[in-house]
Amino acid sequence: MSTGVERELGPTPQPASAIGFHAQLEGASLWDLVQMECLARSRLVVQVTGEGGVGYLYFDGGHVVHAATARRLGQAAALEILGWTRGTFRASDRSWPSSGPTIDVSHESLLLHAAKDRDERGASNLVAFPGRVTIAPEDVEVLEIEEEGEEDMRNPNIDDTPVPPVPPRGESPADFPVMVRLSAQGAVLRNKGGSEELAEATAYGHRLVQLTGELLGLEQFVAIECTFASDHFIIFSEKDGEIVALRPRPELNLQPLRDRLGL
Amino acid sequence: MGAAGSAGLVASLATLKDVNGIMGSFVFTEDGRLVAREISPLFDDTALTEASGRLTRLRETFAAVGDRLDAAVVRFRDHKLYLKVLGAGMLCIVAEGAVNMPALRMAANLVGRRIVPALERAAHEPPLPTQAPAPERQPGLAPPGMRRFRGRPVE
Repeated sequence: MSTGVERELGPTPQPASAIGFHAQLEGASLWDLVQMECLARSRLVVQVTGEGGVGYLYFDGGHVVHAATARRLGQAAALEILGWTRGTFRASDRSWPSSGPTIDVSHESLLLHAAKDRDERGASNLVAFPGRVTIAPEDVEVLEIEEEGEEDMRNPNIDDTPVPPVPPRGESPADFPVMVRLSAQGAVLRNKGGSEELAEATAYGHRLVQLTGELLGLEQFVAIECTFASDHFIIFSEKDGEIVALRPRPELNLQPLRDRLGL
Repeated sequence: MGAAGSAGLVASLATLKDVNGIMGSFVFTEDGRLVAREISPLFDDTALTEASGRLTRLRETFAAVGDRLDAAVVRFRDHKLYLKVLGAGMLCIVAEGAVNMPALRMAANLVGRRIVPALERAAHEPPLPTQAPAPERQPGLAPPGMRRFRGRPVE
């Protein structure tokens, strides 16, 4: 039986414990989180605990579609959360709003607004936003402010065991001067910092390794990391068939990304 | 390539299997010609030759946009391919997904250095003829004096 939320926002995501990674991002900023989740077109809810309390960011299909804090909902809540300068974040199984998306601006626009607010406050939140730590139960209690119309879609099977720490990732959008996103058909959906030729090389290179895998009976291409004389280039496929290519800064520690992609 | 490659080359490739998870490897020239293999016969020469051609094009693809490939790791669901560019060609290692990558990289570097001379020699040798081309036959063009129809000479 589908719920109102499912009808409006699609099916409920499977528990995070079923597949995927738990992560602790020491030193990452919230803005990195927004960029990365939107780039990955994730559908998930992230619980943020900062100096202003606890809030939730809802990601779906490359957008921040909803946000909630104890005081605000929608874009105002997102801006409040993005204004926090320190704290922790983690994936949450919090329910999705039945009223559908409450934020209709792009994540870039949202970050621009947040940057403007930050500038006006004269403070930066691009400082350490320490990764997730074990959230004390008393903190969680503060969060349990159900929004009007929300249905509790919490899955009792979800494993809320604290995630063991992992090495710091510390990636930010500035760490990837080139980001290219292609549709499964090869259309350039987004190209930040890459030439048209690079997008073409990405599409063709992706196809070549896919065919090579098929030839050798190695099924399902996941990712490729190319090492050049002075830098690296990473291409990976997403579940919906879209292809993402990243050129990290040469000095960036790639191990966390390699771990994530199985490279 | 009909044979598995020179014994020395194959012996060097065999040492890669010291690393747990490495299933085998093959080497090809920069024009995509398979030179040596040390991998299960499940991977036949035709498949490896075609794969060599595609991986060579992958290198050329990045070269076309100004990136000189040095190495690459390709992750498939259960396996990895590791490519190491060796001047006159490439070394391709097929491994399980859980292979120890630092060990694999080190082994590939060492084996790569060792096989470069043999690979360069192979790259400069003409490809082995698979079969002598048959002379083209065109009916009706027999030499004069040998043109016959139903056993009778014809002009």
